[in-house]
Amino acid sequence: MASPGGQGSGALSTRGGVARRMKWALELSLGNTRGRGDRQSNQGDVMYPIGYSDKPVPDTSIQETDKNLVEKRCWDVALGPLKQIPMNLFIMYMSGNTISIFPIMMVCMMAWRPIQALMSMSATFKLLENSNQQWLQGLVYSVGNLLGSALAIYKCQSMGLLPTHSSDWLAFIEPPQRVEIMGGGMVL
Amino acid sequence: MKPSAKMAKLVPLLAVFFYLVCVSEAVFEDQVGKFDWRRQYVGKVLFASFDSPSQSSKKLFVATDKNIFASLNSRTGDLFWRHVDKMGPEGAVDTLLVNAQDALMVIGDGRLLRSWDTNVGGLNWEVVLDTGSFQAACFVGIQDTVKHVAVLKKTAISLHYLSNGHQKWVENLPDSDTVKYQAVYSGGGEEVFVLGMVPHSHLTITVYSLEDGEIIRQRSVEAPWLSSVESSCVVVGRGVLMCVDNYTQALYTLAIQAEDSPQFRQVLLQSLDLEVSQDFQPVLVSTQPHPARSPLPEFFLQLGPDHHILLQLSEDGSTIAPLRDFQPVFTNTRACAVNLFSADSGRRLLDTTVIFPLDANGGKPQKLYVHAFLKKDDSVGYRVLVQTEDHALTFIQLLARSRVVWTREEALADVVTMEMVDLPLTGTQAELEGEFGKKADGLLPMVMKRLSSQVILLQAWMAHLWKLFYEARKPRSQIKNEVTIETLSRDEFNLQKMMVMVTASGKLFGIDSKSGTILWKHYLENVQPNAAFKLIVQRTTAHFPHPPQCTLLIKDKDTGLATLHVFNPIFGRKSQISLPALPRPILQSLLLPVIDQDYAKCLLLVDDQYKVTAFPSTKNVMQQLQEMASSIFFYLVDSEQGTLSGFRLRKDLSSELIWEVVLPTEVQKIVAVKGKRPSEHVHSQGRVMGDRSVLYKYLNPNLLAVVTESTDTHPERAFVGMFLVDGVTGRIIHEAVQRKARGPIHFVHSENWVVYEYWNTKSRRNEFSVLELFEGTELYNSTVFSSLDRPHLPQVLQQSYIFPSPITTMEATLTEKGITSRHLLVGLPSGAILSLPKMFLDPRRPEVVNEHSREENLIPYAPEMPIRTEWFINYNQTISRLKGIYTAPSGLESTCLVVAYGLDIYQTRVYPSKQFDVLKDDYDYVLISSVLFALFFATMISKRLAEVKLLNRAWR
Repeated sequence: MASPGGQGSGALSTRGGVARRMKWALELSLGNTRGRGDRQSNQGDVMYPIGYSDKPVPDTSIQETDKNLVEKRCWDVALGPLKQIPMNLFIMYMSGNTISIFPIMMVCMMAWRPIQALMSMSATFKLLENSNQQWLQGLVYSVGNLLGSALAIYKCQSMGLLPTHSSDWLAFIEPPQRVEIMGGGMVL
Repeated sequence: MKPSAKMAKLVPLLAVFFYLVCVSEAVFEDQVGKFDWRRQYVGKVLFASFDSPSQSSKKLFVATDKNIFASLNSRTGDLFWRHVDKMGPEGAVDTLLVNAQDALMVIGDGRLLRSWDTNVGGLNWEVVLDTGSFQAACFVGIQDTVKHVAVLKKTAISLHYLSNGHQKWVENLPDSDTVKYQAVYSGGGEEVFVLGMVPHSHLTITVYSLEDGEIIRQRSVEAPWLSSVESSCVVVGRGVLMCVDNYTQALYTLAIQAEDSPQFRQVLLQSLDLEVSQDFQPVLVSTQPHPARSPLPEFFLQLGPDHHILLQLSEDGSTIAPLRDFQPVFTNTRACAVNLFSADSGRRLLDTTVIFPLDANGGKPQKLYVHAFLKKDDSVGYRVLVQTEDHALTFIQLLARSRVVWTREEALADVVTMEMVDLPLTGTQAELEGEFGKKADGLLPMVMKRLSSQVILLQAWMAHLWKLFYEARKPRSQIKNEVTIETLSRDEFNLQKMMVMVTASGKLFGIDSKSGTILWKHYLENVQPNAAFKLIVQRTTAHFPHPPQCTLLIKDKDTGLATLHVFNPIFGRKSQISLPALPRPILQSLLLPVIDQDYAKCLLLVDDQYKVTAFPSTKNVMQQLQEMASSIFFYLVDSEQGTLSGFRLRKDLSSELIWEVVLPTEVQKIVAVKGKRPSEHVHSQGRVMGDRSVLYKYLNPNLLAVVTESTDTHPERAFVGMFLVDGVTGRIIHEAVQRKARGPIHFVHSENWVVYEYWNTKSRRNEFSVLELFEGTELYNSTVFSSLDRPHLPQVLQQSYIFPSPITTMEATLTEKGITSRHLLVGLPSGAILSLPKMFLDPRRPEVVNEHSREENLIPYAPEMPIRTEWFINYNQTISRLKGIYTAPSGLESTCLVVAYGLDIYQTRVYPSKQFDVLKDDYDYVLISSVLFALFFATMISKRLAEVKLLNRAWR
């Protein structure tokens, strides 16, 4: 291992006056190396600590319970969005329908999170890969997210942010074309 | 801005942002004169007088037909001070007499006698004179000091002290019912002579004593040829009355101071080798240099329109000798020469010729006011104030070198109508615009075209930079920032426009709206003083390379015949276009949206047989007209007959009467009719209610607002009527009658509302009333509007308010797209212009505030309309006798250009919704950019430092 010159010379400086002239030196013995320990494991010819074995030890005792745990974990993931709904409802109630910066931020968060989650569905499916009820869980997960976004839309609606009234489309009405041409005035 | 949807609730958040960008509405002190300018005028000069007979004086006094007495700076032509009296005959200036420090004016047909201090323009004193129509006035002086002024009226003569105006004596004139007293004269003695006459019989001379007003003597002289003392007699020399008679072709002389019974002595003009021109009434002109001394013995006799004779009366008053014959010939229309002649000998003085160029677009010289003085080297110098037919004043000075010192365009004191025209694009801009105008011919040529135009733009930019660099090296004084016609071009936001102004004298002006510089003028000769004008923009600047085209319709009130003047509004030049023959009196005109192949809109002129003449009348236009004839309507309002009549055009350009509304003239009189401005854009088709539904506006483009006033003016029975009539069908959409009210009514008709102001005779206050028309919550037909297919009448809402001031004129702001909220510009008699938000004049203002009205941002109803001082858009630049306000949109949606005219002209910009689309004027570019650069460098430096630090840490 190449050790930086400054440190190397520091190590060598105890050896005597002859070694002093050398700018750097490569130490091939491993005994008093001060290099970082984690790099040692990369090298094949390192000495392993006591009790270390190269061969993997097969584990067979707890297969059943692990399967249940995975299943449980997957359901947790799938039910996550649904569990958030009561919380969201509470926040919605608390923030009110006035338009100010905080309710707007909350609504944005509420709308954005389910969308984000729905967009990264593939990643979630990868999580649920090991489960038997993968498809059911996926469905529950997406339903939960959809419910969350529906809730956000409802909030937008109650805040009046949705263009559902005729007044919201008023700006797009073109002025009507006039059919007759008219002019005149007082007799000059 | 109107929040068009509730989604726009976000607007408050944005508004906070905008608020940081633009905070104020009113003008800051350092913005004074930055966007606005004012020009002050006085009107057509009736009397003018120079200050003192020295060379150093620089004051000039003028009294004008606009009842104004003003002092002008003779070096610059600016106003020192100006006194504006009442309009009309009550304030008319009868005469102006200036003596040293005192300027005396008789005002209102002998109603008032005023003395002004000429130094500062303050009023010395004012006395009310006895009733009786004014005849003449003169100073009375003894031994070179002037202490009194004599005022002759029809039945009495009065003498006033000059120092305080007190009346010394007043005497009734003898036999004033038969004798017409017409002149008063004082030759510096103790006597005042009053000349009266009985036409074609005799002349009377009444001599009053200066001391006590006693009649010293009374003489009667036979004069059967005399018809008027005023027009044919003057006093010449030492009290010799000189009269001229056209019939006998003779001069008559009479010594008025003679004790015994005098006789006229006849001197035939033939004996002097003189002859009067055909059909010309000869006129005598004499000069009295000092009021306490007798007039000069030399006098002028005008024998023809351009023919004057200088005559001299000999010392003893017995002989008359001609000195010089003046027959100037106006052969050269380009320049005039002024020469100075000696009165004693009639000889021309050397080196006194001033040649001043006549404006080809101006009128001929009409009157000269000359002020001669001795220069320091004892040579003679003089100044001349030349008044031309077009009411322009030109001041010429003969000092070291003769020159025109200044010119004032007094015709602008009486602007009748105006328009604002966009300036043309520069060559490069036109190139870029043209690119989009051309037809697309494949991708590659388009790309090439775009590249070539970009190269041209780059070239222009480089040239501009080079010019900037070149000019930066020159001293500042050499750079002239003057606006000329050649350098005119549209600016980025189209804020600079050409103001085309039509004045009552028939002179047209083109004024740059940014600086107020007069860029062109054109005098139309033979325009009657009471002519009616209508200015029409037929082609705008948008149709490059066709020049813009304006048409002025001038109607002679007496004959009813109309003439057209077609010109280019940017350069003022008359267009060489064949004009239609208009043999019949013209009643009205209407501009159609029909354009010919040269992009000029078609103008229809309606004559008294209701036949229509089209201009331009090319084949293309006629074909279009025939196709569209059935959808072209016009209406005529005859206020004398009290009729409104509607006509439809036939294919042969005659018309048929389709409706008529008669408002009986015994009861009420039609005062005014207004349609909507055709250039108006309405962005929002409805109003958003509190429950987020829409109340659609009734936007009938054919709607007319007709205002009537009752003929009965008794305060209990007077009323004011407002009729909303559809101009196509004649259907009366709405009728509002305000009882116990009278005019004058000022009103604005725009979008779906009418605002009008009247005088409430019962409560004795001015009131505003607003009418708004709505279609309801559903549109009947959202794609086309036809007056012939409108089964439902609109909903009409009305509300009235008290306004704490009378008003003189009213107009609404106008913007490019109509998104910006509207303001009303209200001209007050004080000369201020109030920018009143339309929001305050909204009939939906609730009396009881509820959730919905709060949601709509409606202001709770309050009967009193506030006037806030920050709403005055012209701060202290008051506009005298405000007559009209003209508004025009600019290229910026937030900005509306305003021109107010009356005696003065004022131009400014208003921002009804503040400047939401542009950085404010004092935006700190230096600070922002320096902060930006500082942050940029700080980022660079800290990035470098961070790299070094990371590297060092990596080594550890």
